[in-house]
Amino acid sequence: MTRGVLLFAFNTPKVNYFKMAIAAAKRINHFLKLPVSLITDDIQNYNGYEFDNIIYSESIKDNFKEKNPWYNKGRHQAYELSPYDETLLLDTDYVVNSDKLLEVFDYYTDFCCHDHTSYLLVPDANQECMGVHSYNALWATVVFFKKTKRVERIFNCMKMIQDNYNFYAEIHGFYSFSFRNDYALAIANKIINGQFNEPTDFIPYPLVHAGRDTKIEKLDTKDFGTEYKVTLTNYNDLKNKKEYIIIKDIDFHMINKDNFMELFNV
Amino acid sequence: MDTNDLIAEAKAKFSHNSTKAYLRDKYNSKLIIAEQGGLWKITPEFISFLASVYIPNDVVIMDLYESPVKVDRTKFLNKAVNTYTSVMNEYHKEWEKLKKNR
Repeated sequence: MTRGVLLFAFNTPKVNYFKMAIAAAKRINHFLKLPVSLITDDIQNYNGYEFDNIIYSESIKDNFKEKNPWYNKGRHQAYELSPYDETLLLDTDYVVNSDKLLEVFDYYTDFCCHDHTSYLLVPDANQECMGVHSYNALWATVVFFKKTKRVERIFNCMKMIQDNYNFYAEIHGFYSFSFRNDYALAIANKIINGQFNEPTDFIPYPLVHAGRDTKIEKLDTKDFGTEYKVTLTNYNDLKNKKEYIIIKDIDFHMINKDNFMELFNV
Repeated sequence: MDTNDLIAEAKAKFSHNSTKAYLRDKYNSKLIIAEQGGLWKITPEFISFLASVYIPNDVVIMDLYESPVKVDRTKFLNKAVNTYTSVMNEYHKEWEKLKKNR
Protein backbone atom coordinates (compact mmCIF):
# COMPACT_ATOMS: atom_id res chain seq x y z
CA MET A 1 0.00 0.00 0.00
CA THR A 2 1.65 3.26 -1.12
CA ARG A 3 0.89 6.64 0.39
CA GLY A 4 1.86 10.07 -0.81
CA VAL A 5 0.92 13.67 -1.41
CA LEU A 6 -0.06 15.11 -4.78
CA LEU A 7 0.27 18.78 -5.76
CA PHE A 8 -0.75 20.64 -8.92
CA ALA A 9 1.35 23.57 -10.18
CA PHE A 10 0.42 25.47 -13.33
CA ASN A 11 2.34 28.75 -13.33
CA THR A 12 0.59 31.93 -14.31
CA PRO A 13 2.25 35.22 -15.34
CA LYS A 14 1.68 36.49 -11.80
CA VAL A 15 2.13 33.46 -9.54
CA ASN A 16 4.92 30.90 -9.62
CA TYR A 17 2.97 27.87 -8.42
CA PHE A 18 5.93 25.59 -9.14
CA LYS A 19 8.07 27.37 -6.56
CA MET A 20 5.15 27.40 -4.16
CA ALA A 21 4.88 23.64 -4.66
CA ILE A 22 8.56 23.22 -3.76
CA ALA A 23 8.07 25.23 -0.56
CA ALA A 24 4.96 23.18 0.27
CA ALA A 25 6.67 19.87 -0.54
CA LYS A 26 9.58 20.59 1.82
CA ARG A 27 7.13 21.18 4.67
CA ILE A 28 5.15 18.06 3.76
CA ASN A 29 8.33 15.96 3.85
CA HIS A 30 9.30 17.47 7.18
CA PHE A 31 5.97 17.21 9.02
CA LEU A 32 4.24 14.26 7.34
CA LYS A 33 7.29 12.27 6.18
CA LEU A 34 5.48 11.44 2.95
CA PRO A 35 6.72 11.54 -0.66
CA VAL A 36 5.36 14.34 -2.84
CA SER A 37 4.48 14.07 -6.52
CA LEU A 38 3.81 17.07 -8.71
CA ILE A 39 1.50 17.48 -11.70
CA THR A 40 2.67 20.37 -13.83
CA ASP A 41 2.85 21.68 -17.39
CA ASP A 42 6.43 22.92 -16.98
CA ILE A 43 8.83 20.08 -16.23
CA GLN A 44 11.76 22.22 -17.43
CA ASN A 45 11.23 24.40 -14.43
CA TYR A 46 12.58 21.75 -12.07
CA ASN A 47 15.10 23.24 -9.70
CA GLY A 48 16.28 22.72 -6.15
CA TYR A 49 14.03 19.93 -4.95
CA GLU A 50 13.57 16.30 -5.84
CA PHE A 51 9.91 15.37 -6.19
CA ASP A 52 8.97 11.72 -5.92
CA ASN A 53 7.44 12.05 -9.41
CA ILE A 54 6.94 14.94 -11.79
CA ILE A 55 3.95 14.19 -13.99
CA TYR A 56 3.26 16.23 -17.09
CA SER A 57 -0.21 17.51 -17.81
CA GLU A 58 -1.27 20.21 -20.25
CA SER A 59 -2.81 23.18 -18.47
CA ILE A 60 -6.05 24.67 -19.73
CA LYS A 61 -5.41 28.37 -20.04
CA ASP A 62 -8.92 29.78 -20.22
CA ASN A 63 -9.70 30.56 -16.61
CA PHE A 64 -9.42 33.84 -14.73
CA LYS A 65 -9.76 35.01 -11.15
CA GLU A 66 -10.18 38.71 -10.44
CA LYS A 67 -9.02 39.43 -14.03
CA ASN A 68 -5.78 37.45 -13.54
CA PRO A 69 -5.06 34.15 -15.31
CA TRP A 70 -5.73 31.16 -13.05
CA TYR A 71 -5.01 27.73 -14.51
CA ASN A 72 -6.76 25.52 -11.99
CA LYS A 73 -8.68 23.25 -14.34
CA GLY A 74 -7.85 19.58 -14.63
CA ARG A 75 -7.87 18.72 -10.94
CA HIS A 76 -10.07 15.72 -11.78
CA GLN A 77 -6.93 14.08 -13.23
CA ALA A 78 -5.66 13.55 -9.68
CA TYR A 79 -7.35 10.15 -9.55
CA GLU A 80 -5.89 8.95 -12.84
CA LEU A 81 -2.42 10.44 -12.42
CA SER A 82 -1.74 9.80 -8.74
CA PRO A 83 1.01 7.19 -8.38
CA TYR A 84 -0.21 6.29 -4.88
CA ASP A 85 -2.85 3.87 -3.54
CA GLU A 86 -3.77 6.43 -0.88
CA THR A 87 -3.36 10.05 -1.89
CA LEU A 88 -3.51 13.32 -0.07
CA LEU A 89 -4.25 15.98 -2.68
CA LEU A 90 -3.28 19.44 -1.41
CA ASP A 91 -3.30 22.97 -2.78
CA THR A 92 0.20 24.43 -3.00
CA ASP A 93 -0.87 27.34 -0.76
CA TYR A 94 -1.87 25.00 2.06
CA VAL A 95 0.71 25.36 4.82
CA VAL A 96 1.42 22.04 6.50
CA ASN A 97 2.50 23.02 9.99
CA SER A 98 1.87 19.85 12.00
CA ASP A 99 1.43 16.11 11.52
CA LYS A 100 -2.34 16.38 11.93
CA LEU A 101 -3.12 15.38 8.33
CA LEU A 102 -1.61 11.92 8.84
CA GLU A 103 -4.75 11.02 10.77
CA VAL A 104 -6.90 11.05 7.63
CA PHE A 105 -5.15 7.87 6.54
CA ASP A 106 -6.70 6.19 9.61
CA TYR A 107 -10.25 7.34 8.84
CA TYR A 108 -12.53 4.54 7.70
CA THR A 109 -13.33 6.07 4.34
CA ASP A 110 -12.12 6.06 0.74
CA PHE A 111 -12.63 9.80 0.23
CA CYS A 112 -12.82 12.91 2.39
CA CYS A 113 -12.47 16.64 2.16
CA HIS A 114 -13.43 19.67 4.25
CA ASP A 115 -17.07 20.76 4.28
CA HIS A 116 -16.64 23.65 6.69
CA THR A 117 -14.09 26.34 7.36
CA SER A 118 -12.93 28.79 9.96
CA TYR A 119 -11.07 32.03 9.28
CA LEU A 120 -8.24 33.19 11.49
CA LEU A 121 -9.23 36.53 13.08
CA VAL A 122 -12.77 36.25 11.73
CA PRO A 123 -14.63 34.38 14.46
CA ASP A 124 -18.07 33.13 13.41
CA ALA A 125 -17.50 33.73 9.68
CA ASN A 126 -20.33 32.30 7.57
CA GLN A 127 -19.87 29.10 5.62
CA GLU A 128 -19.74 29.62 1.86
CA CYS A 129 -22.91 28.74 -0.01
CA MET A 130 -22.53 28.23 -3.78
CA GLY A 131 -25.73 30.10 -4.65
CA VAL A 132 -29.00 31.21 -3.06
CA HIS A 133 -30.80 28.12 -4.31
CA SER A 134 -27.88 25.79 -3.80
CA TYR A 135 -25.94 24.16 -1.00
CA ASN A 136 -22.70 24.82 0.86
CA ALA A 137 -19.40 24.55 -0.98
CA LEU A 138 -16.92 21.80 -0.30
CA TRP A 139 -13.21 22.55 -0.31
CA ALA A 140 -10.78 20.98 -2.77
CA THR A 141 -7.83 22.37 -0.77
CA VAL A 142 -7.32 19.10 1.13
CA VAL A 143 -8.70 15.91 -0.41
CA PHE A 144 -7.86 12.41 0.74
CA PHE A 145 -8.71 9.52 -1.56
CA LYS A 146 -8.12 5.87 -2.20
CA LYS A 147 -8.40 4.27 -5.63
CA THR A 148 -11.90 2.83 -5.53
CA LYS A 149 -14.68 2.79 -8.12
CA ARG A 150 -16.74 5.30 -6.12
CA VAL A 151 -13.85 7.76 -5.92
CA GLU A 152 -13.14 7.33 -9.62
CA ARG A 153 -16.76 8.30 -10.27
CA ILE A 154 -16.42 11.44 -8.11
CA PHE A 155 -13.41 12.61 -10.11
CA ASN A 156 -15.02 11.69 -13.45
CA CYS A 157 -18.05 13.65 -12.37
CA MET A 158 -15.81 16.65 -11.58
CA LYS A 159 -14.59 16.52 -15.18
CA MET A 160 -18.17 16.46 -16.46
CA ILE A 161 -18.94 19.54 -14.33
CA GLN A 162 -15.78 21.30 -15.52
CA ASP A 163 -16.79 20.61 -19.15
CA ASN A 164 -20.33 21.91 -18.55
CA TYR A 165 -19.59 24.56 -15.95
CA ASN A 166 -21.93 27.20 -17.36
CA PHE A 167 -24.85 24.80 -17.14
CA TYR A 168 -24.16 23.95 -13.50
CA ALA A 169 -23.59 27.63 -12.68
CA GLU A 170 -27.01 28.39 -14.13
CA ILE A 171 -28.67 25.62 -12.12
CA HIS A 172 -26.98 26.50 -8.84
CA GLY A 173 -26.98 30.28 -9.29
CA PHE A 174 -23.27 31.11 -9.11
CA TYR A 175 -21.01 33.04 -11.46
CA SER A 176 -19.38 30.88 -14.13
CA PHE A 177 -16.65 33.43 -14.93
CA SER A 178 -14.10 31.66 -12.71
CA PHE A 179 -14.03 27.88 -12.64
CA ARG A 180 -13.68 26.65 -9.08
CA ASN A 181 -12.68 23.13 -8.14
CA ASP A 182 -14.45 23.61 -4.80
CA TYR A 183 -17.78 23.96 -6.57
CA ALA A 184 -17.11 21.14 -9.03
CA LEU A 185 -16.22 18.90 -6.09
CA ALA A 186 -19.33 19.89 -4.11
CA ILE A 187 -21.66 19.19 -7.04
CA ALA A 188 -19.88 15.94 -7.97
CA ASN A 189 -20.03 14.70 -4.39
CA LYS A 190 -23.78 15.34 -4.20
CA ILE A 191 -24.44 13.63 -7.53
CA ILE A 192 -22.44 10.54 -6.62
CA ASN A 193 -24.13 10.30 -3.22
CA GLY A 194 -27.65 10.53 -4.67
CA GLN A 195 -28.07 14.15 -3.47
CA PHE A 196 -27.38 13.09 0.11
CA ASN A 197 -24.51 14.11 2.33
CA GLU A 198 -22.29 11.16 3.09
CA PRO A 199 -20.82 11.97 6.53
CA THR A 200 -17.70 9.88 5.91
CA ASP A 201 -16.82 12.18 3.00
CA PHE A 202 -16.16 15.11 5.31
CA ILE A 203 -13.15 15.78 7.49
CA PRO A 204 -14.69 16.34 10.93
CA TYR A 205 -12.91 19.60 11.74
CA PRO A 206 -12.74 22.89 9.84
CA LEU A 207 -10.30 23.94 7.17
CA VAL A 208 -8.46 26.93 8.66
CA HIS A 209 -8.18 29.85 6.26
CA ALA A 210 -5.86 32.80 6.55
CA GLY A 211 -7.97 35.28 4.60
CA ARG A 212 -6.99 37.86 2.02
CA ASP A 213 -6.88 40.62 4.62
CA THR A 214 -4.66 38.84 7.09
CA LYS A 215 -0.89 38.93 7.12
CA ILE A 216 1.17 36.04 8.41
CA GLU A 217 4.66 36.55 9.80
CA LYS A 218 7.16 33.97 11.05
CA LEU A 219 7.93 34.14 14.74
CA ASP A 220 10.08 31.04 14.78
CA THR A 221 13.09 31.61 12.53
CA LYS A 222 13.98 27.93 12.20
CA ASP A 223 13.49 26.37 8.73
CA PHE A 224 10.36 24.54 9.76
CA GLY A 225 9.23 26.79 12.59
CA THR A 226 5.61 26.35 13.57
CA GLU A 227 4.83 29.66 15.29
CA TYR A 228 3.30 32.54 13.33
CA LYS A 229 1.82 35.93 14.06
CA VAL A 230 -1.45 36.62 12.24
CA THR A 231 -2.39 40.27 11.82
CA LEU A 232 -5.57 41.71 10.48
CA THR A 233 -4.71 44.16 7.71
CA ASN A 234 -7.69 46.36 7.19
CA TYR A 235 -6.44 48.82 4.62
CA ASN A 236 -9.10 51.40 5.46
CA ASP A 237 -8.01 51.60 9.04
CA LEU A 238 -4.33 51.02 9.63
CA LYS A 239 -4.87 51.14 13.38
CA ASN A 240 -6.40 47.69 13.05
CA LYS A 241 -2.90 46.34 12.47
CA LYS A 242 -2.56 46.15 16.21
CA GLU A 243 -4.94 43.22 16.28
CA TYR A 244 -3.20 39.92 16.05
CA ILE A 245 -3.08 36.38 17.29
CA ILE A 246 -0.24 33.90 17.56
CA ILE A 247 -0.78 30.47 16.09
CA LYS A 248 1.31 27.36 16.56
CA ASP A 249 1.31 23.75 15.30
CA ILE A 250 -1.79 24.23 13.16
CA ASP A 251 -2.15 23.81 9.39
CA PHE A 252 -3.72 26.65 7.43
CA HIS A 253 -4.69 27.65 3.92
CA MET A 254 -3.21 30.98 2.78
CA ILE A 255 -5.51 32.81 0.42
CA ASN A 256 -3.08 35.70 0.04
CA LYS A 257 -0.53 34.31 -2.48
CA ASP A 258 1.80 37.32 -2.21
CA ASN A 259 2.04 36.75 1.52
CA PHE A 260 2.76 33.03 0.93
CA MET A 261 5.57 33.84 -1.50
CA GLU A 262 7.06 36.39 0.89
CA LEU A 263 6.78 34.07 3.89
CA PHE A 264 8.48 31.09 2.25
CA ASN A 265 10.93 33.04 0.05
CA VAL A 266 9.32 31.87 -3.19
CA MET B 1 -15.22 58.56 28.76
CA ASP B 2 -11.99 58.33 26.80
CA THR B 3 -12.67 57.05 23.27
CA ASN B 4 -9.11 55.77 22.91
CA ASP B 5 -9.60 53.58 25.97
CA LEU B 6 -12.79 52.21 24.48
CA ILE B 7 -11.09 51.42 21.18
CA ALA B 8 -8.14 49.76 22.94
CA GLU B 9 -10.52 47.69 25.06
CA ALA B 10 -12.54 46.61 22.02
CA LYS B 11 -9.39 45.65 20.10
CA ALA B 12 -8.06 43.66 23.05
CA LYS B 13 -11.38 41.86 23.36
CA PHE B 14 -11.42 41.14 19.61
CA SER B 15 -7.94 39.61 19.74
CA HIS B 16 -8.86 37.64 22.86
CA ASN B 17 -11.97 36.16 21.24
CA SER B 18 -10.12 35.43 17.99
CA THR B 19 -7.46 33.57 19.96
CA LYS B 20 -10.14 31.65 21.81
CA ALA B 21 -11.78 30.65 18.52
CA TYR B 22 -8.46 29.55 17.03
CA LEU B 23 -7.58 27.47 20.09
CA ARG B 24 -11.06 25.92 20.18
CA ASP B 25 -10.75 24.80 16.53
CA LYS B 26 -7.21 23.52 17.00
CA TYR B 27 -7.88 21.46 20.11
CA ASN B 28 -11.36 20.27 19.11
CA SER B 29 -9.74 18.71 16.05
CA LYS B 30 -7.15 16.99 18.25
CA LEU B 31 -9.94 15.42 20.31
CA ILE B 32 -11.18 13.56 17.23
CA ILE B 33 -9.65 10.11 16.90
CA ALA B 34 -10.08 7.01 14.74
CA GLU B 35 -10.39 3.91 16.93
CA GLN B 36 -11.78 0.40 16.62
CA GLY B 37 -13.44 0.99 13.25
CA GLY B 38 -15.07 4.34 13.99
CA LEU B 39 -14.31 8.04 14.27
CA TRP B 40 -14.94 9.66 17.67
CA LYS B 41 -14.86 12.98 19.45
CA ILE B 42 -13.58 12.54 22.98
CA THR B 43 -15.65 14.55 25.45
CA PRO B 44 -16.08 14.28 29.23
CA GLU B 45 -19.58 12.84 28.61
CA PHE B 46 -18.20 10.21 26.27
CA ILE B 47 -15.54 9.21 28.81
CA SER B 48 -18.21 8.96 31.54
CA PHE B 49 -20.26 6.70 29.28
CA LEU B 50 -17.28 4.45 28.59
CA ALA B 51 -16.45 4.38 32.30
CA SER B 52 -19.92 3.24 33.32
CA VAL B 53 -19.86 -0.22 34.89
CA TYR B 54 -23.49 -0.73 33.82
CA ILE B 55 -22.46 -0.84 30.15
CA PRO B 56 -21.28 -4.25 28.89
CA ASN B 57 -17.68 -4.48 27.70
CA ASP B 58 -18.63 -5.14 24.09
CA VAL B 59 -20.97 -2.31 23.27
CA VAL B 60 -22.33 -0.69 20.11
CA ILE B 61 -22.00 3.10 19.91
CA MET B 62 -22.79 5.61 17.15
CA ASP B 63 -19.62 7.29 15.87
CA LEU B 64 -19.16 10.75 14.36
CA TYR B 65 -20.14 9.36 10.96
CA GLU B 66 -23.44 8.18 12.44
CA SER B 67 -22.47 4.55 12.00
CA PRO B 68 -23.05 1.98 14.75
CA VAL B 69 -19.69 0.51 15.76
CA LYS B 70 -19.05 -2.36 18.17
CA VAL B 71 -16.19 -1.49 20.51
CA ASP B 72 -14.25 -2.96 23.40
CA ARG B 73 -15.32 -0.47 26.10
CA THR B 74 -12.43 -0.81 28.56
CA LYS B 75 -9.77 -0.73 25.86
CA PHE B 76 -11.41 2.35 24.36
CA LEU B 77 -11.70 3.99 27.79
CA ASN B 78 -7.93 3.92 28.26
CA LYS B 79 -7.34 5.45 24.84
CA ALA B 80 -10.04 8.08 25.41
CA VAL B 81 -8.71 9.14 28.82
CA ASN B 82 -5.13 9.35 27.54
CA THR B 83 -6.18 11.42 24.51
CA TYR B 84 -8.39 13.73 26.54
CA THR B 85 -5.85 14.44 29.27
CA SER B 86 -2.90 15.00 26.93
CA VAL B 87 -4.86 17.25 24.54
CA MET B 88 -6.47 19.28 27.33
CA ASN B 89 -3.16 19.72 29.16
CA GLU B 90 -1.60 21.01 25.95
CA TYR B 91 -4.64 23.31 25.44
CA HIS B 92 -4.31 24.69 28.96
CA LYS B 93 -0.56 25.25 28.58
CA GLU B 94 -1.01 27.23 25.36
CA TRP B 95 -3.91 29.20 26.78
CA GLU B 96 -1.89 30.22 29.84
CA LYS B 97 1.06 31.21 27.65
CA LEU B 98 -1.12 33.38 25.44
CA LYS B 99 -2.70 35.04 28.46
CA LYS B 100 0.75 35.94 29.80
CA ASN B 101 1.88 37.33 26.43
CA ARG B 102 -0.93 39.85 26.34
